[in-house]
Amino acid sequence: MNLTALVFAVALASQSGTTNPPDLTGFWNNQYTPNLAQALGHEPPYTSYGAERWKNVDTKDDPTGMCLPVGPSRAFTAPMPFQVVQGPTMVAFLFEYQTIYRMVYIDKKHPPDIMDYPEFMGHSIGHWEGDTLVIDTVGINERSWLDTAGHEHSGQLHLIERIQKLDNDHLKYTVTYDDPMFFTQPWSITRTFTRGKPTDRIMAYSCEENNKDVEHLRSNKKTEQ
Amino acid sequence: MRRQFLSITGLAFGLFLAAAPALAHHSFAAEYDRSKPIKFTGKVTKVEWMNPHVYFYVDVKDEATGQVINYACEGGAPNGLYRNGWRKDSLKAGDSVTVDGWRAKDGSNTVNAGSVVLPDGKKVFAGSADDGGPGARP
Repeated sequence: MNLTALVFAVALASQSGTTNPPDLTGFWNNQYTPNLAQALGHEPPYTSYGAERWKNVDTKDDPTGMCLPVGPSRAFTAPMPFQVVQGPTMVAFLFEYQTIYRMVYIDKKHPPDIMDYPEFMGHSIGHWEGDTLVIDTVGINERSWLDTAGHEHSGQLHLIERIQKLDNDHLKYTVTYDDPMFFTQPWSITRTFTRGKPTDRIMAYSCEENNKDVEHLRSNKKTEQ
Repeated sequence: MRRQFLSITGLAFGLFLAAAPALAHHSFAAEYDRSKPIKFTGKVTKVEWMNPHVYFYVDVKDEATGQVINYACEGGAPNGLYRNGWRKDSLKAGDSVTVDGWRAKDGSNTVNAGSVVLPDGKKVFAGSADDGGPGARP
């Protein structure tokens, strides 16, 4: 292979993001974040509609209290671990919380009709930028919440998540929430995932097994306090 | 009067310091009332080591009336408790326990167990990070 061909091959590989991405495989613990505003340092930049929704949200209506799927970003801020299974064309996240998964299709496009068929965990595509997996997610069912505190979103929510391998035991997770219905501009928080112990394993979780709480949930609107 | 003031201040301070229980799948305040702390000692009648939270039931006799109340106590998520070393038989029917927690808003005998202590002082099954629950700090 002559030099020109080699440079061309490296440039091509670099462009498609296939140059030795880091291996994220393994068991990881989340950094529990029940209220995103605490991680941000202040409330998100609401539109007037978003502010009204936040003012009136009632945490008894939390979809996860009814065992509905947790949504894509809240799965990464819940107090439960996940397993990464990584291949060249897909990175899969298997969450213990609600026994739910996310599949990130590497170097693919969103289906053209995804906004008409939203999913609780959205549709995710990704690419590698050096040591960082960049995930783009749309088509997220507006019934999911962003956190336990009751930050909501619309079906227009667009998530950009960046997962950077800092070292063998730590991943830096930055998530950007872009939702023109709820927020005047995109905003981001950063969390750290920590590798589990060698003996850790993802365990069974059935929210419906004994969800006694649901019958005791009572109105908890801020406006009524 | 001064003593009463001190004890109320101490109580308020203690509540302020109390770790917020780790409830992932619903807000604490949607089910429990932080202004209604409760503490009792009684006998465990049943343990449910199940998702999304463990529940255990405690018979408590009201010394004044002689009436026995069976409290339903919510603890942490079983997987998190397991990883912190608890097992489903760490607490068994017949055990005597002291529970420190908060009452449910709906007036039922449901309690969020902030701390659960056996007679030998050993803490088991609790929902908060301080008590070996699924460590949960924002």
